[in-house]
Amino acid sequence: MIPLMVAGGIFTVIVGFVVVVLFISWFSNPPFGLGNASAQPIAFPHTVHVEENNIQCEFCHRNVTKGDAATVPAVEQCLFCHKDISGRDGQAQTEIAKVQQYFADEEPIDWERVHRLPDHVRFIHEAHIRFFTSETGTGGASGQRFDINGSEVSGSLSITQTCSICHGDVGSMEEVQPKEGQSLKMGTCLDCHRVNNVPTDCTICHK
Amino acid sequence: MKLSRRHFLAWAGLSAVGAVACEGFGIREGELNIQSPVSLPEDLVRGKDNWYASLCRNCPSCEGILVRVMEGRAKKVQGNPLYPTNQGKSHARCEAGVQALYHPDRIPGAMRRGGNRGSGQFDQIGWDSEGMETLVRQLNDRGSRAVLLTKPTRGHLGLLTSRFAQAVGAEHMNYEAVDNNTFRTAVKNVYDQDVLPDFDMENANFILSFGADFLSTWISPTRWNRGYGEFRQGEGRSHRGTLYHVDSRFSMTAANADKWIPIRPGYEGHLALSVAQVIVDENLQARGVDVDAMLGGDTGRALLNDYRPENVVGQIGLTPEIAGGDPVAFIKKLAHDFAADVQTRGPSIAIAGGSAGAHSNGLFNVEAAAVLNWLVGSVGAEGGVRLNPSGPWQDVPSSSSSASLDDMGRLIDQIRSGETRMLMLHNVDPVHGLPGSLDLEDAIVSAQDLFVVSFSPFIDDTTVLADLLLPDRVYLEDWGDDIPDPAPGYQVAGFQQPVVNPLWDLDPRSFPDVLLAAADGAGVGEQLPWSSYQAMLKDSATALFEENRGSIDAGSADEFWTALLRRGGWWDESVTGPDVPRPRAGLLRRIMEGASTPTFAGFGGEGTLYLAPFSHNTVQDGELAHLPWLQATPDPVTSVAWQTWVELNDITAERRGIREGDIVRIESSQGSIRGVAYLNPATPPEVVGVPFGGGRRHGSPYATDRPASESSNVANILEPTRVAGPQSLAWAGTRVRISPTGESVNVSKLEGNVRSVEVGLSAAEEIIKTVAPGNY
Repeated sequence: MIPLMVAGGIFTVIVGFVVVVLFISWFSNPPFGLGNASAQPIAFPHTVHVEENNIQCEFCHRNVTKGDAATVPAVEQCLFCHKDISGRDGQAQTEIAKVQQYFADEEPIDWERVHRLPDHVRFIHEAHIRFFTSETGTGGASGQRFDINGSEVSGSLSITQTCSICHGDVGSMEEVQPKEGQSLKMGTCLDCHRVNNVPTDCTICHK
Repeated sequence: MKLSRRHFLAWAGLSAVGAVACEGFGIREGELNIQSPVSLPEDLVRGKDNWYASLCRNCPSCEGILVRVMEGRAKKVQGNPLYPTNQGKSHARCEAGVQALYHPDRIPGAMRRGGNRGSGQFDQIGWDSEGMETLVRQLNDRGSRAVLLTKPTRGHLGLLTSRFAQAVGAEHMNYEAVDNNTFRTAVKNVYDQDVLPDFDMENANFILSFGADFLSTWISPTRWNRGYGEFRQGEGRSHRGTLYHVDSRFSMTAANADKWIPIRPGYEGHLALSVAQVIVDENLQARGVDVDAMLGGDTGRALLNDYRPENVVGQIGLTPEIAGGDPVAFIKKLAHDFAADVQTRGPSIAIAGGSAGAHSNGLFNVEAAAVLNWLVGSVGAEGGVRLNPSGPWQDVPSSSSSASLDDMGRLIDQIRSGETRMLMLHNVDPVHGLPGSLDLEDAIVSAQDLFVVSFSPFIDDTTVLADLLLPDRVYLEDWGDDIPDPAPGYQVAGFQQPVVNPLWDLDPRSFPDVLLAAADGAGVGEQLPWSSYQAMLKDSATALFEENRGSIDAGSADEFWTALLRRGGWWDESVTGPDVPRPRAGLLRRIMEGASTPTFAGFGGEGTLYLAPFSHNTVQDGELAHLPWLQATPDPVTSVAWQTWVELNDITAERRGIREGDIVRIESSQGSIRGVAYLNPATPPEVVGVPFGGGRRHGSPYATDRPASESSNVANILEPTRVAGPQSLAWAGTRVRISPTGESVNVSKLEGNVRSVEVGLSAAEEIIKTVAPGNY
């Protein structure tokens, strides 16, 4: 007979373990609402780059129309412009100097992830961009397309518009944060796939 | 439940364990990071690479290579570290394999002649509909009067080509412009061996080389470069080896030698026998060597005494300047150094070949040098001449010699007389390589009823004369094998596998497979009982597997085959060369009885110079002149690239009013060529050196697009002198006149234009030499 104390202890450990695992799995996806993403190593203002200077998303996130990951730009790419542009005010100059220093030191920049899908999910940006930017999409017989919230999309979208479906209006964000009220969890994916008449087999998304 | 102190501690402990366990499943550091790489990913190489082991066919020595293949394209060739001969090292020629593969001037598919013979006009035809059909029809009509001309082929290609020729009634001849027949004959005569020996330089103490430029082009340079590196500064060696090189030209090997001895060309054998005389006279031979038996009695001893140093120094042109003092004392010291340390510091090796064997008395020169190895007991010894076993398959040739100049002369006569009515060529260019006086081109062009088919993948001076082109695959696209000659002292079989497929716009076919199909078509297929060349190789691999020995331990024939291809070959270190035979009785006497001095046909007398042609370090005899990397690789001694340069002593040049870069005319009794003067104080005053390989007239622009003044074929002016014995071309047996043409160009070289001269010859210069800045 196992003493009650030992049984209780084992039970506590197992239950505690399960609770912690579930807690971590559920809340580890930052968009869900663990609060804002951590501070970035460089205070990169999308507002200046996208809104003011009209740089397209895919100029920096070069792989977004080609492959699975959108990718963040290489430091060398920042230097395309920031070899010469050193910032209009003190703060900008400080941040740009950091980028230049990374390049001079041949050090990569470790950004804090804002959007992240679990490892068992295979998400391909290119297919989604293609779907919304093409003339007809690949949707149902009606050719109608709907965004992540189920609203109908009229015509083909630009790449920037397509990005904003999931990521929100990043161009207006001084600091990138998840789209408000957008979980990017499995239910969101399924809803969007269903409404657009796209397959929902497990292996479509799961590795 | 009462919470006792004991229970409290237990609960607390379990909770702590649980907390620690749960913490272990937390998010790892960096999990939520995303990284901006420093460099643009577009600049990085994408995709995964595969490395295939295979063999390099740009080198006659067939080195083991690894080829890096990415997304179906071969990118890089380097040495296979497992392959016994080159052990990871590779020649520049191997690297250029990818250029042969992706060369813009490859023959795209089966073609037939579209204009006059030699016009270079060819029309594309279907392989099966016309190409193979024509080949089979011509074989049926002319097979018994056909000649199949290939490079010296050993291994399975050697077996297949000879069987094919036999089946269709044709004659199979091997050809190479700069052959090693003299060395092969000497090996047979002196060591009684059918396959070439290796030289165990790694463990040698002293190397005495006669004319063999083994660090650049001679036979197996990569293998010997590796050995040479160990010889000089190998790990664990107690001392640095010593290299003396006897050669009338300042070659790569001469430049590396401790002492370079530029004696009169063609007298290498006399110097070797003089060294032998000192060894015998002073009883310096190794223990157990029966000198009397080698000399064959008093007659032999008397003959040898004629080679006393004091008798030969004048004849061989060994001056005090060359010897660095008394020439007689020099030879005696050389004999002492060569022989005396054998017991204490390790063996010595005498190596002879190259230019020493390319005189009318070349066989005597090479044999006289080779016999020195018997005297010092280095035949079969560690650090000496390592005898080799034959290959692992009984019926597969492991060695192959070239046709002699007599054989080639006979072939040309047969073409002229109409006796030979079909010529099949595979990767040979005898029109470019044979002496101009034989005029093979004229024989082919003027033959009344001759059908020429070429299997070469590139147009060259001979292939351009063909009626039918059936291009072979380049070796990186094809199967093959090789039995190294020389092997590294034990049995080796290298295997070659296709690492990529031909590009979409090319349609070459494997030469051995074409021969198999042609034999089938001609109704003699039963004599070549293989469904394909790959099947032939695989059968032989299975036979090796069944012997259950060597480097590969496999559970099945298929596993063995896979392992074989992965390693690039198979070898069995336990099967070494034969037991060391004793030298034949009277060997030394026989050599001395055959002694002669070199003859130089054509020009002679005042104002003429010895012509010292030599194999180009990378394009060799011109066979690889279509590969731009190899044209652009600077010669290791002069640093000249792309041009045909003429090595002249600066004083010799000055007397003729020649400066560096001047276009000079080199004239023999057989004709004249032009070349760019390169002045070098190290060139002996009576010698002019010119590389083979230039002057190609047909084929890729990389080989042909330079003016005749900067790219010329030295074979055109060679006297058709034979080496007594093997009857090969004595390519070092020509004397020439040199004159300026009045034209001048820049020498295409890497080194600067300021000459380096020795300081300290005059009293004033002595100050520069002896006073350092710190003294003032």
